[in-house]
Amino acid sequence: MRVILALGRIFVGILLATLSLQAHHSFSATYDGNKPITLRGKIVKLGWQNPHAHLYVDVTNADGKVVTWEVESAGPTTLMKQGLRKEDFVGQEVIIKGFLAKDGTPTVNASSFTLVEAKKEFVNDEKAP
Amino acid sequence: MRRWTVAVSVALTLGAQAISIAQAAPDFSGTWRLNQAKSSRAIVGNTPDIQFASQLEVKQSATDLAIVATSVRQQPVSAVYKLDGSKVNVQAPEGITESGEAKLNGTTLVITSRRSFSSPAGDIVVDFKEVWTRTASELTVEKTRTQSGDSSTQKAVYDKL
Repeated sequence: MRVILALGRIFVGILLATLSLQAHHSFSATYDGNKPITLRGKIVKLGWQNPHAHLYVDVTNADGKVVTWEVESAGPTTLMKQGLRKEDFVGQEVIIKGFLAKDGTPTVNASSFTLVEAKKEFVNDEKAP
Repeated sequence: MRRWTVAVSVALTLGAQAISIAQAAPDFSGTWRLNQAKSSRAIVGNTPDIQFASQLEVKQSATDLAIVATSVRQQPVSAVYKLDGSKVNVQAPEGITESGEAKLNGTTLVITSRRSFSSPAGDIVVDFKEVWTRTASELTVEKTRTQSGDSSTQKAVYDKL
């Protein structure tokens, strides 16, 4: 029984480590460095979790169609170090500079973003792991 | 005495011309690898402000400048520029259209290009300007990205391999 429990713990540990590694992927694996993009829209949802916070931003295209973008940012700790809090985001207008995802989805990795009304700017200076 | 004066004058003139020619036509040929420690902090790590190639393969002749820019897990970008500044097409990854021009300006090389691609936000147009300078062992590239009326500039330093 003890052996089964120990093996179970090892399995769960490996599973969690794998999930963590998948979440903390490298930039070049997911994003296209040849496709820089600047977006302006309204934050409708916030994923405040490690290793990356995610902003969900409604952006209106030139044809009037609204597309919800997923914006990957730094982790909450890094954001808080630059003076940003969870409460600062939802409902705010934001300007994002970053790079498009390789898979063609409305996903972007933010190198910086500016909360327009709050006049708060975040510059992502996370080093590669 | 007069002969000496003439000889020195001729030597100085020829020397000045030689320096002038050397300064006017720097050669950027070689394989250059990005030195992260000497480059702007904002271009390295997981979230670059402006993307720079990890390595540049450059072949320069009297009239042309061929560049192949490669980066980890990114599609390479290559171009053969005419050094007279005429516009050429850049061989960009699928889905990207890019044209640019290169011109030697004294001791620097200036490359300007316009890149366009489609995105879920519509068609995107980005302008780049690169200013290259070199020493015997280092290549410095100052790159400006302009998009939607906003510009930012970063610097990368490459070591000669």
